[in-house]
Amino acid sequence: MTWDSFIYFAIISVLLWSSGAALAYVCKRKRWPALLTAAGLIVFSIFIAGLWMSLERPPLRTMGETRLWYSFFLPVAGLLTYLRWNYKWILSFTTVLSTVFIIVNIVKPDIHDKALMPALQSPWFAPHVIIYMFSYAILGAATLVAIYYLVREKKINNKAKLMEMTDSLVYAGIACITLGMLIGAIWAKIAWGHYWSWDPKETWAAATWIGYLLYIHYRLKKSSSDKTSMILLIIAFILLQICWYGVNYLPSAQQSIHTYSS
Amino acid sequence: MKKIWEHPWGYAEGFVVAAGVLLAGILLQLAAGNIETALFASPVNTIIGALFIAGLPGVHFLFGKKRVTRWLSSVYATIPALATLLLLAMILGLIPQFAAGTPAEQLPSHPFTSLGWYRMTTSWPFVLLCFYNLTILGLTILRRSIRKQTWRDIGFYLNHLGLFIALLGGILGSADMERLTMTIQEGQVEWRGSLQTGEIKELPLAIQLDTFMIEEYEPKLVIVENETGKMLPASRPESYMFEGVGKTTQLAGVTLTITDYLPHAAIFRDSTFMNVVPMMMEGATTALKVKVNKPGLAQPVEGWVSNGSYLFPHIFLQIDDETSVAMPVQEVKKYSSHVTVFTESGITKEAVIEVNKPLQVEDWMIYQYSYDDTKGKYSNTSVFELVRDPWVKGVYTGIIMLLAGALFLFIAGPKKKAS
Repeated sequence: MTWDSFIYFAIISVLLWSSGAALAYVCKRKRWPALLTAAGLIVFSIFIAGLWMSLERPPLRTMGETRLWYSFFLPVAGLLTYLRWNYKWILSFTTVLSTVFIIVNIVKPDIHDKALMPALQSPWFAPHVIIYMFSYAILGAATLVAIYYLVREKKINNKAKLMEMTDSLVYAGIACITLGMLIGAIWAKIAWGHYWSWDPKETWAAATWIGYLLYIHYRLKKSSSDKTSMILLIIAFILLQICWYGVNYLPSAQQSIHTYSS
Repeated sequence: MKKIWEHPWGYAEGFVVAAGVLLAGILLQLAAGNIETALFASPVNTIIGALFIAGLPGVHFLFGKKRVTRWLSSVYATIPALATLLLLAMILGLIPQFAAGTPAEQLPSHPFTSLGWYRMTTSWPFVLLCFYNLTILGLTILRRSIRKQTWRDIGFYLNHLGLFIALLGGILGSADMERLTMTIQEGQVEWRGSLQTGEIKELPLAIQLDTFMIEEYEPKLVIVENETGKMLPASRPESYMFEGVGKTTQLAGVTLTITDYLPHAAIFRDSTFMNVVPMMMEGATTALKVKVNKPGLAQPVEGWVSNGSYLFPHIFLQIDDETSVAMPVQEVKKYSSHVTVFTESGITKEAVIEVNKPLQVEDWMIYQYSYDDTKGKYSNTSVFELVRDPWVKGVYTGIIMLLAGALFLFIAGPKKKAS
């Protein structure tokens, strides 16, 4: 399976996710929205598995390949949130964001080849990137909630419940970025000789981590303002975007050893 | 409305104190310049670490009841301290950094230099803020330890104590870390390494390079524009990795058929004549014979394409006035060194060192670092990096605690708010 067949799998997945998201507004029970979203995820994962096999290496090296995982994990995060918290709008939010990343991959594909430089040939490679992509998706879902909150602040009935959900997403998200970062540190010691080199990507990973720590600690106070919390979440997500791909456009990036796109 | 500095302190005081720490750091930086890491090498770092670790409980037991100490171990101090550190981290992430040992005269003449921003991690503001955050972290752990414990405290200690240990160990340990590179030719023994500054140092171990090997990926073909040499299509350059003789592929609107493959070829060429022949020799190149067709071409073009070597030139196959077929330099799949390591204490160890597979000998880690890239796969020189970091075990203890703490956080989630 190659990138040429991506568009077909993507269209079927997006159709399934969209119908699941639409049914979430209509159906009282969660069965059909959940089943359709899961079906879309299965179709999408078949493509990832096929691509993995045809490339003979984990499809995690280029930006396009990380976007692929992100498009996959967003509906996963949406589905889990929907099942746990019953918010019917979350599925349509994650479907739209996932579709945006799918479109980017179709319109602006990277050069994809089988070559994997020696530094990336490691058992730590797949867990490091997959956990990061999963956390980015969860934190992306949290950001969608923050935007929802800031836009519709006056119309939200049960703010406490919404904040509780946001906290849950952020805790799961920061747990995963911590795991991803530390797995990266252990790997860096084995591959590069030091667990932390303040490489631009590492620096922005630390900045992102601090960003979410600010949210978590701020929320510990009962007197904390919901609005400020949500603004903190959006700032942290901007840091995350810089870490993920923005760093490639910064003056500091010329020295990065974290650049693997062709 | 409470006035500033009126107890209980809150965020406002937190920002003022963090700004004060930052200002103190800036003044020290202007007066003294960057911190000379070497001055803090063992035993100085051990003493500082011991004083710091002893000082925190001292403060906690003597002044733990004081409002300022209680405030220092609260969210009101934590958030401004973290936010200020975040600010410096963002500057660090924006501005290209120079190696710690760079002489001051080689840094750009810019106000950023005086502020230490080009070597942020050894600048006074950055290090002071790290210690300010560590102080808050330490006092918070101590204050938490005296209250009634619940199962949720396990997660708290794993995360906070783990971070404290990893950060303190990492900061203090950086002064004792040694990193050297060592270049060895096949069959030779070397025991001298060069530091980043270029200084040569003798090591307590010697490495003999028995053999060095490079494996490459299959060759690739691309279509390039004759005038600029740019890969086509310009918007999304394509390449084709060789899969076997007889295969046909489409590349940038061109049909390519591979008609012959020589993994070891010699090229003989003068102004009118070129011959590509198989030859098993050092410096031999890779060559692919391709038949090219494209709409508008009177008849298919056939010929050799090669990426050359230090002995032989590249060969392009011209398709028409605009385009040619070219073979980029092959990508390295794997490189490895068979070595025998001897130590002063009499240990002899034979091993294979590869990227991602370092060798540990006593307290040194030996990494495959590089090779002679002018010779490519015929390099008989291997470059190693040798690293000694006596504090790494402490840092790993902290990292493992943090890993467990992250799992705890993932499973337990946030504390339920009583609503």
